[in-house]
Amino acid sequence: MEGVAMKLPSFKSLAPNAISIGHRSFSRVRRSSSLSVYSAASSSATVATNSESVSLGHRVRKDFRILHQEVNGSKLVYLDSAATSQKPAVVLDALQNYYEFYNSNVHRGIHYLSAKATDEFELARKKVARFINASDSKEIVFTRNATEAINLVAYSWGLLNLKPGDEVILTVAEHHSCIVPWQLVSEKTGAVLKYVMLNEDEVPDIDKLREMISPKTKLVAVHHVSNVLASCLPIEEIVVCAHNVGAKVLVDACQSVPHMVVDVQKLNADFLVASSHKMCGPTGIGFLYGRSDLLQSMPPFLGGGDMISDVFLDHSTYAEPPSRFEAGTPAIGEAIALGAAIDYLSEIGMPKIHEYEVELGKYLYGKLSALPDVRIYGPRPSESVHRGALCSFNVEGLHPTDLATFLDQQHGVAIRSGHHCAQPLHRYLGVNASARASLYFYNTKEDVDSFVVALADTVSFFNSFK
Amino acid sequence: MNTSSSFKVFASPPLIFSSRPPKNASQNPRFSSKVPRSCPKTIRCMRDSLNLRSSPNAPSALSFATVEAPLGTKTSDKLRILVSEFRSLTEPIDRVKRLLNYAADLAPLDDTARVSANRVPGCTTQVWLDIKMDEFGRMRFKADSDSEISKGFCSCLIWILDGAKPEEVMGVRSEDLSEMNVGVHGKEQSRVNTWQNVLMTMQKRTMTLVAADVAHRGGERPPHHHKHDLLFKYVNGSYMESSTVHDYSISLLPLYYDFTI
Repeated sequence: MEGVAMKLPSFKSLAPNAISIGHRSFSRVRRSSSLSVYSAASSSATVATNSESVSLGHRVRKDFRILHQEVNGSKLVYLDSAATSQKPAVVLDALQNYYEFYNSNVHRGIHYLSAKATDEFELARKKVARFINASDSKEIVFTRNATEAINLVAYSWGLLNLKPGDEVILTVAEHHSCIVPWQLVSEKTGAVLKYVMLNEDEVPDIDKLREMISPKTKLVAVHHVSNVLASCLPIEEIVVCAHNVGAKVLVDACQSVPHMVVDVQKLNADFLVASSHKMCGPTGIGFLYGRSDLLQSMPPFLGGGDMISDVFLDHSTYAEPPSRFEAGTPAIGEAIALGAAIDYLSEIGMPKIHEYEVELGKYLYGKLSALPDVRIYGPRPSESVHRGALCSFNVEGLHPTDLATFLDQQHGVAIRSGHHCAQPLHRYLGVNASARASLYFYNTKEDVDSFVVALADTVSFFNSFK
Repeated sequence: MNTSSSFKVFASPPLIFSSRPPKNASQNPRFSSKVPRSCPKTIRCMRDSLNLRSSPNAPSALSFATVEAPLGTKTSDKLRILVSEFRSLTEPIDRVKRLLNYAADLAPLDDTARVSANRVPGCTTQVWLDIKMDEFGRMRFKADSDSEISKGFCSCLIWILDGAKPEEVMGVRSEDLSEMNVGVHGKEQSRVNTWQNVLMTMQKRTMTLVAADVAHRGGERPPHHHKHDLLFKYVNGSYMESSTVHDYSISLLPLYYDFTI
């Protein structure tokens, strides 16, 4: 009777509509010790039952133990989620579980542990597919992160399809990961990179982008939400313009997938990339979404095991996508933990998360812009303009690195300073660096208040030395 | 040790000292001749104007201020003095304040020197370094930065190294500076990279000037070779295992700690 339905709730209950591929392996688990771990995992994500009067940020904070600490003698105020997000206990448990109870290489063995690991790994892929509404989980390629995903497209699709004189359109606000790979590939292929500048609202000029698109355009690679400007691009519109001339569109969704509903069918993009570590998942895993027919037509990126069909001495034949692009042993535990992160976010509901962040982001913007000598980059929020929940800014006469150092040392406030991997954008804005405070759904109004008070103290401290 | 109440002097000309009346909250204890009398005032000023947690170490830190470096003080001694001064500041905020004090004392840099050739690569902040060799063969440094804390770092490095012989410049290791970081106390990573980058640039460009000087004099190779080896030995010890000397002109500098996103 060992094998009978010891249905472990963790993966199923956290995602009400979870695809039930894993049930076979669930029901076969014999070790009762694993039960306690799973039940602990499931209880920590019950955020929906609390009263609505407590904000989302307050409700979920208990799931993030890392937030409950002091740094340099002050309570930690973590405002750097655009750099990396914190992970809820369920995600950490999922990673631990994997290594503790069923770690095994995937796609290879026929023994029990291997089958279970493979099932969970492929279940995670399905969860990602569902999360962004891909039509098939075969359209999800696991990579190390979004940067590797973009490089995959550049070296696989780009090298094959870009010819001399072909144009790739980017914006001046792109992250380095969506600039440098195209530079490398355009050097090899003779393609030309063209950049869309900002308009007077400090967002990429969509009118100019439309003008730039021509029959020579083969690819438009743009961010969805900017990690500096907090602006959101009208991807659907861009895709329509690009497809009209037969160009493909790659969407860098690193700052959008964690924060709002992203539906690749609605966007109709050809490629989309995101990183797990920005959406409550572990580092070391990210994904590329590519339309089936496109992935089918692409040659391999990295060569090795798993991506082959048959290997001979003088040639090899390659596997079907997504395996074709997943050489070697993948980050199995990390992918499974990403699946758990998706379950966690889905349980709360992406629309709810987005709504909360819009409100909190507006609050941050309001309080920050009320301070004297503070210049926030990107568009002003309005009825028609929704900013992401982050503010990159500079204070007159104060280097952002000095600012961030003092905020950390004296107030335990963690923000980021530098160019945020967007040097062309900073050059365009005429600054060398900026400070950035970025929020996620586990931040609260109190975090914003603490930050603003600390910032005011910082400014007066440095002013006193002038 | 010369503990006269005169202004502190450096090991070699010119004397870079503050003859300005002390500012309200930026009293630089090292340079002031009025330290004993103004001690209490300084502590009170800092506390009041900044409204910070009391710094129990401030008095002991200020007592270090009476230690002055007499003429002929070696680079290694100056380094020791500065390290012990910073080591006494156990509160990170006091290190920030001390650096900001020193930043105020940095000699200004000509606009003509603020060029990209003088930029120190690898820093998120902009740092410009102007390096010359004087007629005595000693290295003269001037620097500036758009960040006050980086200016403070530069001010300290210049106090240690300005007027030093080239081999003294080459003999300073970045580990020697780790005590003076402005980060979590005891950890080496935060901000120390500004030290490292500036130091490495000082050393690299010292090498270049020494080589040019030797070439100019039509001098023998050995001194240059020795210093060259000194640099590469250090570099080899810290960063590279290979014993072959390549042109590591970029890789002489440590990994750029600009992990911003």
